[in-house]
Amino acid sequence: MEKLGVGIGWRPEIDLTVERLPGVDFVEVVAENLHVSHLPESVLLLRDRGIPVLPHAVSLSLGGAEPVDRDRVAHLASLAEALDAPLVSDHVCFVRAGGLDSGHLMPLPRTRDALDVLVANVKAAQQDLPVPLALENVAALLEWPDADLTEGQFFAELVDRTDCHLLIDVANLYANARNLGTDVSRFLDEIPLERLAYVHVAGGEEHQGVYHDTHAHAVRPEVLDVLAQLRARVDPPGVLLERDDHYPADAELAGELAAIRAVLG
Amino acid sequence: MTQPQRDRLAAAQTELLRALLADGATPPGFDEDRVRIEKRALRNKRRGIVEMLRPDVADELGERFRPLFDAYARTHPKEDGTRFREDAARFADWAVGQGELKPPKKKRWWQRTAT
Repeated sequence: MEKLGVGIGWRPEIDLTVERLPGVDFVEVVAENLHVSHLPESVLLLRDRGIPVLPHAVSLSLGGAEPVDRDRVAHLASLAEALDAPLVSDHVCFVRAGGLDSGHLMPLPRTRDALDVLVANVKAAQQDLPVPLALENVAALLEWPDADLTEGQFFAELVDRTDCHLLIDVANLYANARNLGTDVSRFLDEIPLERLAYVHVAGGEEHQGVYHDTHAHAVRPEVLDVLAQLRARVDPPGVLLERDDHYPADAELAGELAAIRAVLG
Repeated sequence: MTQPQRDRLAAAQTELLRALLADGATPPGFDEDRVRIEKRALRNKRRGIVEMLRPDVADELGERFRPLFDAYARTHPKEDGTRFREDAARFADWAVGQGELKPPKKKRWWQRTAT
């Protein structure tokens, strides 16, 4: 995979911050929030500086029972072209079902049925995308019953059957370890790390014994520990900090990026 | 072909979303506690987005915003294809219908640049 370095999620609320933070090697934009015909000036400025801008989608619902929505894929594809992005990403999840919209990234049942449908949807999306697709693990608050596979096995088979890349979110992995008892080292052992495109790091908070992946709080040391566990196995091509709300002072974000660099060594 | 798998998956995912978003029964095998926590998390997220998109509505309702939105959400799950802006507008219309929110004043042509 292409070396990306250390990056941060570009958001309109922190556009100037992202532009002036030192040592931002790449950024990510939320695909659904941008229009190809009027891209934010700040995003174009970063692109023109030669900083890779990676579109990150949240609405393809690739793990949903419905065939993938080609208009959503087309939007992602045109954004990748407009931004000259090396790859795009979305999540291993479902968003919609039965005419309802969860407004969130919902975990999939880890069954053969769900994997077959996910694989078919991912292949359909890949056909319409001009660049590689990386798929991310989500944070779940609940567990589906009757799993046939561990989360790591589910991802390994997904990569094997679709040749997709991996976007591993270490905060989501930490959340699942805390809330569902996912075995972090087993997950990292089971996934094909040679397919790792980059890593997400984010903050969260604990509420009544449950860890919530909020992207609105500081990154916890425990999440950096998971990053260290991953780093012990592979040198990730990229690591990106996600912050989506309650934006702190620039210095605090710079500090979190420095903490990530320190773990990477 | 994946149609049989799709049909089974659709039934399972629909049942879960109905439980989480539309007061449906918890599907067998799920932890009731976790379903309750997820329900609350999804509702908080949706309410937060509405608050961000319509601060005018949240401000006018004040402390009533949260309970009113939650009452609305239980009977009006967000439908597929609804944009968040529409979701926020529908809640505002509902709140007007309930007599909780003043109806919006019609804009006159001479007010177009007002405030």
